[in-house]
Amino acid sequence: MTQDQPLLAVQEALRKCFPVVEEQQGLWQSALRDCPPLLASLSNLAEQLQAAQNLRFEDVPSLRAFPDLQERLRRKQLAAGDTLLDRLGERLAALLKVRDVVSSHVEHVLQVYEQHADMISLDAVLQASAASPSVAEMLEWLQDIERHYRSLYLKRKYLLSSIQWGDLGNIQALPKAWDRISEDEHPDLVRDILLNVSFFLEE
Amino acid sequence: MAPDSGPFPEGPLLKLLPVDARDRGTQRCRLGPAALRALGAHLGSAVEISLPDGGSCLCTAWPRRDGADGFVQLDPQCASPGAAVGAPGSRGSLNLSRLRLVPCPPLRLLAVWPVLRELAGVSGAPNPAAVLEAAQELLRNRPVSLGHVVAAPPGAPGPVAALHIVSGAPNPNPAGLVTPHTHISLSGLPPSEEEPQPEVPLGGLSEAADSLRELLDLPLSYPRALASLGLEVPRGVLLAGPPGVGKTQLVRAVARKAGAELLAVSAPSLQGSRPGETEENVRRVFQRAQELASRRPTLLFLDEVDALCPRRGGPHQAPESRVVAQVLTLLDGISGGREVVVVGATNRPDALDPALRRPGRFDREIVIGTPTLRQRKAILQVITSKMPISSQVDLSLLAEMTVGYVGADLTALCREAAMHALLHSEKNQDNPMIDETDFLEAFKKIQPSSFRSVIGLMDIKPVGWEQIGGLEDVKLKLKQSIEWPLKFPREFVRMGLTEPKGVLLYGPPGCAKTTLVRALATSCHCSFVSVSGADLFSPFVGDSEKILSQVFRQARANTPAIVFLDEIDSILGSRSISRTGCNVQERVLSVLLNELDGVGLKTIERRGSKSDQHGKYKELEKNEELEFQEVFNSNVMIVAATNRPDVLDDALLRPGRLDKIIYIPPPDEKGRLSILKVCTKNMPMGPDISLENVAADTCFFSGADLGNLCKEAALLALQENGLEATTVKQEHFLESLKTVKPSLSHKDLTLYKNLFQKQGFSNLEDI
Repeated sequence: MTQDQPLLAVQEALRKCFPVVEEQQGLWQSALRDCPPLLASLSNLAEQLQAAQNLRFEDVPSLRAFPDLQERLRRKQLAAGDTLLDRLGERLAALLKVRDVVSSHVEHVLQVYEQHADMISLDAVLQASAASPSVAEMLEWLQDIERHYRSLYLKRKYLLSSIQWGDLGNIQALPKAWDRISEDEHPDLVRDILLNVSFFLEE
Repeated sequence: MAPDSGPFPEGPLLKLLPVDARDRGTQRCRLGPAALRALGAHLGSAVEISLPDGGSCLCTAWPRRDGADGFVQLDPQCASPGAAVGAPGSRGSLNLSRLRLVPCPPLRLLAVWPVLRELAGVSGAPNPAAVLEAAQELLRNRPVSLGHVVAAPPGAPGPVAALHIVSGAPNPNPAGLVTPHTHISLSGLPPSEEEPQPEVPLGGLSEAADSLRELLDLPLSYPRALASLGLEVPRGVLLAGPPGVGKTQLVRAVARKAGAELLAVSAPSLQGSRPGETEENVRRVFQRAQELASRRPTLLFLDEVDALCPRRGGPHQAPESRVVAQVLTLLDGISGGREVVVVGATNRPDALDPALRRPGRFDREIVIGTPTLRQRKAILQVITSKMPISSQVDLSLLAEMTVGYVGADLTALCREAAMHALLHSEKNQDNPMIDETDFLEAFKKIQPSSFRSVIGLMDIKPVGWEQIGGLEDVKLKLKQSIEWPLKFPREFVRMGLTEPKGVLLYGPPGCAKTTLVRALATSCHCSFVSVSGADLFSPFVGDSEKILSQVFRQARANTPAIVFLDEIDSILGSRSISRTGCNVQERVLSVLLNELDGVGLKTIERRGSKSDQHGKYKELEKNEELEFQEVFNSNVMIVAATNRPDVLDDALLRPGRLDKIIYIPPPDEKGRLSILKVCTKNMPMGPDISLENVAADTCFFSGADLGNLCKEAALLALQENGLEATTVKQEHFLESLKTVKPSLSHKDLTLYKNLFQKQGFSNLEDI
C-alpha cells in the first residue's frame, strides 16, 4: 500500500516521540519535586534576614560583646541564600534540558509530517479509531506539550530572576508563587495526553 | 457541540465563534474538514484571514476537534494593529473566501519593535538582552506577517507585551516562519503606522483647556521651583457642565497635547454586582494609573463621576457610601508625591458627595457652561474647517442663531446641513457645496439638546402682527419693550438702558392678549416657553416651585428666551389679598419673585467660562458688537397676561420685575373695523355690506365677540339659504347683532381704567 506509506512514517515518528515525552516528563517531575524544600528554606532564610534587620543589636546587652555581629550574620545568611539559589539554578537547568529535548523531538515529528504532507490525504489525517486518536490530534497534542513545557519553564525562570535580596517579602512568598505556576497551567496536561495515546503506543 | 452538517453548506459562510480556552495563545485557526479541503491546507499551514472590520490576522490551520463544518474559531495572536477578534462582542460570520492560504518560507532575519509591559515598581527600561530573549521565545515557530502585531498571551510573564513586525529577510509578506535559526533583532524605531492621531482642535474651550494643561505641565516644567516653594500642585479637577459641551473631548485633547497618558474610565462601568466588587474595581483603576504614572505624566479621567460618588447619608445607601469612602481615601492616598492628575466630569455636580469637593481631592472646579456667542463661532469654525462651505455662509450669523446649542448640537447641525447638501443638490453630486440654505434647513430640524426636555415648550402657530386688527400703539409698545432689546442691543447700551425684565399685559377678556404674545413669539425668533397651571401644579409639596424654577433655569440656558405665563392671576396668589396662610400659590409666587430679581445665578448655570463673567464691564467698553449681544442676550424676558390685574401681588408689579405694564384695551371703532376685516377675510361678502356700520354698532364688543358675530352671521346665511348659500349679507349681520351680546360692560372698563391710574400709571388708552 504505497498510499499508506507516508502516513505510516508519521505514525512511526509519533510512536517514537511519545515514549521520549513520557521519560522526560519523569525527569521534569523529579526536578520539580526537589524544588519546594529549597524554596521553603529560601523563604525561611528571608524571614531570618528580616528578623535580624528588625533587631537592634546595640540594645541587647549580651550581644554587645560582638561588635560586628550584625554584619557577619548578614553575610552568612546571604551566602546561604546564594547556595540555595545555585541549587535552584541547577534544577532550572534540568528543566531547561527537558524542555529542549522535548522540543527537538516534537520538531522532528512535525518535520516528518511536513515532508509527507502532500501525500497524505486529509481524511487519513483526521481518521481516528477506538484504539488510536487521529494523527491530527496527536500532532496537536505534541505541540501543546511543547508549549506547556516552554511556558512553565519561562514562568519559573522569570520568578527566580525576580528574586532580589532587597525585597524580603517577595522571597517569603516564593513557595506560594511557585505552586501557583503549576496550578495555573493545566497541571495534568502531559499525563492526560499520554493516557490518551497509550493504546496507540501498544499497537 | 454542533451537529455535523455533512457537506459544506452551499454558501461557504462560516460562523465566527469565540476561541476555546485551551487554544488561546496558540495562533490556531480551527476549521471544519470541508473548509480545510477547500483551502487545500495541511495541518498547521499558514492562513491569512481578512476580518470583517478591515484588519487581518495570520493563523495556522487546524481541524476542529468535533469535526463540524460551518464554524471558524480564531486566535488572533498575530494580527494587524487594531484588529479586534478577541473582543467578546465580535460574533458574526466570515466568508470562506476571506481565508487565504499563504506560503510561509522560513525567515533568516527578522526585525521587531517591542511594546514593553509597564511593571509596577520597576523603573527604567528593561535590559535589551532580556527583551530580545523574551521576543525570541514569543516568536518561536510562529508564522508572522509584515506589519502585524504579535501579542503576548495575557498571563505570560516577561517584559514584552507585544511585538510589531517591522522587517525581515526574506520579506515576510504575506507571511514567514520564525525558526530557531532566524536571527531576531530589535528595531529602535516604532513602525510607521504608529503615527499619532491628528489633533482635534477644540473650539471655544481654550480657557478651560489652559487651566487643565497647567496642572499637567507645571510639575514637569518647574519641579525644583515647586519643591523649593514647598507646594503641592493641585492634582484634582472637577469638570461640570451640561451634557454635550465637550467635557470628555476637552480632557482627551489636553492629554494628547501634553503628551500625557490618558486613562479614561466611565464611572458606571466600575460598578460591580457583588458586594465589594465596585471598590475593588476602583482600587484597580487607581493602581493602574499609578503604574502608568511611573513612566510619564498620567491623567485619570472619571467620566460621569456622579454615578460613582453620590451624596452619602440616604437611608439605603450603605454600598454606595462604601464606594464613596474608597474613592475619597484613594484620592487622598495618592496625593503623596503622586504624578496622577484626576479629572472627574459630571453634569450634576450637586449630586456629588460634598466631601469630594474640597482641596486635596478635587482641588479645582471648572464649570463649562453652554457656549457663548463667541465660543459658538469658534466651535463652528472648527467643525466646518473640513467641510466644503460656500463663501456666502456667515458663521457669525449662524452662531447668533444657535442660542443654547452646545458643541454636540452644533456638530449635529453641521452634519445635517451636509446631509441636506448631499441629498438635495442634483447638480454636483461629486463635490457638493454646503451653502446657507442647507444650514437653514438643518436649523429647522436640530433643536438644542438642552431645550429638548424643557417644560412648556410650544409649537406656535405663527401669527403675523398684521393678522391682529387694531391695537397699533400696543403693538409698538410690545415691540419696543421686547423686540428692540433683543434686536438692537447696541442702541440700548448707548442710551444707558438696562435690559427690561418683564411685561404684564392686562385687559378685559377676549381682547387678543394671547394672540399678541403669539405674534411676538413669531416675530422675535427666540426660545419661547409657555407655562400654564397644568405644567406647574402637582400633588407633591414643593414640586410646583421646583418645576417653576426649572422652567427658568432651562430658559436661561437658551437665552434669549421669553417665558409666557398666561392667566398669571390663577397661577400666583397674592400675599396681600388672600389670608389663607401659606398655600401653594404663594410659594410659587415667591419662587417667581426670586427668579425675576434674585441675587444671582447658580454656578452650574454659568455660561462660557468664569472670566467672561468678570470681564463684563470691560467688554462693554470694548465696543464690540458680538459682546454687546452677549451681555444683552443673557436674559430671560417674562411676559405675563391676565384679565384680573387687581389680584396680583404688589411686589410683582414693581419695576425690575414686571416693569412694563401694558393695558390691552377693548377695540375702539377703528380697531373693530380692522378686526372685522381680518375676521371676514375668508368669507364671501355680499356687496351691500358696510363693515363700517357694523363696527359702529358694536360698542363694547371685544375681539372675540366680533369673531363670534361674524361666525353667527355666516351661520345665519347658511341657515336661510340652505347649503347653497354663497354670500353673507348685511341683514345677516344685523340679525346676529340681536343675539350676540357684548361681553364687556362700561363698569368693567372703568375698573380696568382706574386700576393703575390711581397708582400713578398713566398708560391707559381711551376706547
